[in-house]
Amino acid sequence: MAIAERPSPVLARSGGTALVTPSSSLGVFRRPVSSTGWRSWVFTVDHKKLGIMYGVAAFVFFIVGGCEALLIRLQLAAGSNKVLSASAYNQMFTMHATTMVFLFVMPMAAAFANYLLPLQIGARDVAFPRINAFGFWCFLFGGLFLNTAWFLGGAADTGWFAYAPNTSVAFSPSHGVDFWALGLQITGIASLTGAINLIVTVLNMRAPGMSLMKMPIFSWMVLVVQFLLLFAIPVITVALFLLTFQRNFGAAFFSVDKGADPLLWQHLFWIFGHPEVYILVLPSFGIVSEVLPVFSRKPLFGYKFVVFSGAAIGFLGWGVWAHHMFASGLGPVSVAVFSVATMAIALPTGVKIVNWTMTLWGGKLRFTTSMMFAIGLIIEFTIGGLSGVTHSVSPSDTQQTDTYYVVAHFHYVLFGGAVFGLFAGFYYWWPKVFGKMLSERIGKWNFWLMVIGMNLTFGPMHILGLQGQPRRMQIWTEFRAGDGFFNGAFWNLVSTIGAFILALGIFTFIVNVFLTYKKGEVTPGDPWDARSLEWMTDSPPKEHNFDSIPTVHALDEFFHRKYVEDEETGELTQVTNYAEIMAEMEAKADKNIHLPSPSYWPIVLAIALPIVAYGVIFNRLLAVFGAAVLLFAIFGWSLEPSVADASDYDPPADGDNGESTKELATLG
Amino acid sequence: MPVPSNAGSHRRSRARRLALPGAAIAALTLLSSCAKDAPQDTFQPKGDNARNIDNLQRTPFYIAGGVFVIVFFVVMFCVFKFRDRGQKIPKQTHGKPALEIALTILPALILIGVGIPTVKTLFMLAKTSDTQCVINVTGQQWWWEYDYPVQAGCGGITEPIVTSGEFVFPAKMNVLLKITSRDVIHSFWIPALNGKRDAVPGRVQTLRMEADQPGIYAGQCTEFCGLSHAYMRMDAVALDAASFETWKTNQLAAYESPADGTPAKTGESTFLTQCSRCHQVNGLVNADGDPVISRPDQYVYSGAAPNLTNLMTRFDFAGASFDLITDDCRDKLWSAKPADFSALYLKGVTPECFDPVNLREWLRNAPGKKPMYADPTKLGPTDGKTRGMPNLNLTEDQIDQIISYLTERK
Repeated sequence: MAIAERPSPVLARSGGTALVTPSSSLGVFRRPVSSTGWRSWVFTVDHKKLGIMYGVAAFVFFIVGGCEALLIRLQLAAGSNKVLSASAYNQMFTMHATTMVFLFVMPMAAAFANYLLPLQIGARDVAFPRINAFGFWCFLFGGLFLNTAWFLGGAADTGWFAYAPNTSVAFSPSHGVDFWALGLQITGIASLTGAINLIVTVLNMRAPGMSLMKMPIFSWMVLVVQFLLLFAIPVITVALFLLTFQRNFGAAFFSVDKGADPLLWQHLFWIFGHPEVYILVLPSFGIVSEVLPVFSRKPLFGYKFVVFSGAAIGFLGWGVWAHHMFASGLGPVSVAVFSVATMAIALPTGVKIVNWTMTLWGGKLRFTTSMMFAIGLIIEFTIGGLSGVTHSVSPSDTQQTDTYYVVAHFHYVLFGGAVFGLFAGFYYWWPKVFGKMLSERIGKWNFWLMVIGMNLTFGPMHILGLQGQPRRMQIWTEFRAGDGFFNGAFWNLVSTIGAFILALGIFTFIVNVFLTYKKGEVTPGDPWDARSLEWMTDSPPKEHNFDSIPTVHALDEFFHRKYVEDEETGELTQVTNYAEIMAEMEAKADKNIHLPSPSYWPIVLAIALPIVAYGVIFNRLLAVFGAAVLLFAIFGWSLEPSVADASDYDPPADGDNGESTKELATLG
Repeated sequence: MPVPSNAGSHRRSRARRLALPGAAIAALTLLSSCAKDAPQDTFQPKGDNARNIDNLQRTPFYIAGGVFVIVFFVVMFCVFKFRDRGQKIPKQTHGKPALEIALTILPALILIGVGIPTVKTLFMLAKTSDTQCVINVTGQQWWWEYDYPVQAGCGGITEPIVTSGEFVFPAKMNVLLKITSRDVIHSFWIPALNGKRDAVPGRVQTLRMEADQPGIYAGQCTEFCGLSHAYMRMDAVALDAASFETWKTNQLAAYESPADGTPAKTGESTFLTQCSRCHQVNGLVNADGDPVISRPDQYVYSGAAPNLTNLMTRFDFAGASFDLITDDCRDKLWSAKPADFSALYLKGVTPECFDPVNLREWLRNAPGKKPMYADPTKLGPTDGKTRGMPNLNLTEDQIDQIISYLTERK
């Protein structure tokens, strides 16, 4: 599975486009070898294709979650609205959060990580390409499975943190919570396998010369996130298993009458849930830490500080979970400890804000859409971070927790932070991935509509919360909204209007993508005068990423190849350009590039999981069938060699092995 | 934030929002002063505990606002000052460790400054040694029950008092709530008096309550507790010491059966057949003269239903969600001066103020008025027990009779 150094046994078939008829693969399945058509996507193990698929699927879920949000805001536009029933409303906010967290932000970050990490570190793929494919399919099937609950009796209605015992069958009788628990279990497998894969990739497959402290900052943040996932996902896995057994197999982990303590769930959930917050936001921090230097024409200010503050957040993130539970009744000593720890985590986060701002300082700023989203992130995330600090004051938090003030806080963090970062990434790397430039003109509309929309949507929620409107309430009353023109009713309406402006902003992005696809401008080789390795190859990159693996001498390797700094004055002189660097790399192209072959097994293995899950909910026999598929897939996977047999290709080898390996790589 | 609001501050803060769309939070926080008298405002303490919180929380809010303004202006300065005007590519500076360390230590100092009073306040709010009155608070889907155990505190309680919806306590007294739940997790919150405390089944947790003056204070369940979470509210009612004594006496007064031949008397027998299996009315006897003990544990999953002995001493019902009085009377009660409040409250629901519409709709079809799991065909997971009150399919006559009967429960 790992990319071996040995020469490939696969033989050339130049210009291989059509599907070739594979021979049998161990008598079970023939190995897929197509490089075009739907099969080239479904059975791919290429990190770039998987990255794109992650992105597309996550964006679809983003739209689903966004529609859920609009329905919520419509319901809350007026006091005793009847857009959604209480039951539908409860499902809606549960699934909105679940979708946005688990099916949009996490996989979208995975999309960026998958696509870019190998490119940024000068690798040809991830360490375990088939596991990578398996992870994607787990995420997709898990997400689809989760959403089929809507059509099979109703979705989960317990809120995304699903406090026990409200999740017990007696209190949530539909199968929604079962879908939720099992669906997240499946997407959790995606995260966990992805984490191991990317950690191994970063630690083992960096280009020669790239020490960890010369690694691009985005890759660093991804690495921190993968470690967080590696340790956080097992905790939620345990919690979800307890819940599934509680609901389906008569266990009593959360049955108070049998002596259980419902706070167990809260601790388990938040030990996962707080690192999860950093899992959501750190990739975006990485993205803006790439974007700001490029468009400021300066290196990231205090690279080491940003790296270590990221790592510090990774560690401290484990010591603050109980700040979600200040009203739970933990006792003053625990609350004091978690209160102080929470204040402490503000420091490394503040370091990042300072460093981004100082990166701008003295720069030569180009306000591309990507840059605008990155600057937008600095501002909006600062708001979310500061309202977070007010939450760390635990007595004050007992007033504001579970009100709209918290809702405002985490939307500024997650929308103003995570989502703005992702959009900065879309505009920055779109030409890299698709070879065409997104329209900057539409991009500006996209940015401003989103900024105005998000501040109108989430800004008023600060006020609503401070004036005592609790979250998760299907209705609010005129009486409790207060008097005067600027009362709760006014701000609720503003918030709803803002939500639709925000939706319009996102629609603008979709229009931009569509128009770019139809008639976008083809990307110049190095459109942004970029700094890191992923730009030191074609756009979109060849399947084998780099013709020759570059040797790295500096952080911002690509920039330092293009520009030479006068040691005394610090003045920069351009010594070469993208085209010359590319030509040089092509001239030194590796003769034998070994890439893993596509495989059926990841998708077969992944599809077995929702079958088991449906079986657990509806019919145990189905679960047994799913388990059989699972075993079969594991069997097939284990016996499959990492590359297709030469005889799988048609026409078979013509003997020019060694000469045309570059074309060969596009087949693998 | 109830900064004294006047027209000038409106204009100023609005102008700021328009001028700097990105500065939303600072302006919006200021703007929030514009909503007057939101009953659940978290910045209008009406008692010592909430005041301790309020004193603590203002500083971090102002610091946060200040830090934001600084960050905002520095970023905006960069945006205008350092935009690409064809200048040379700047020097590739990699950072200034001294600046970094300074900018890490400075916020650390600020946070220490915030942290110390935080911890101090935290322990102040956890104190129980100065308790003068203990009241048990029990949450269940979707209402709160208050019971006053026998004690020397609270001015002396000789027989337990059980009530719901409105939580009545003496003003200026350190009350300690012992909070628990009968089913899922709820959270007890009267913003004017203190922060939240979750009601967790299997645990008893404490929360201090103190009100400076007699008055009524709004609250809401704030931990998501299932279908009807939005309809789980509560009001805290502080009475002056003498009025609280009167209130206690009235709660424990002997049962008076309606006069024979009145609609209320018919209502009593309708109540016996339709309501009393879940709802307790203390002192009620059946046809044989035996006391009627309700058994909500046999019909309701949480095992409890509101005690209706003194329904008309309260002004709302069904988790404090629906008023028993007209809007005018409610406004009078809520805006009564502290000196007049106790007397007004003790009057209870007077005939002039009584508005039977909500009660009638409720009796006609309770789950239609407040979402509840009471569909008789879907009670498998709860062993046939409802969560909340089912539709009893009462006739209009029965409803009239029950209302007549209930209006006498004062």
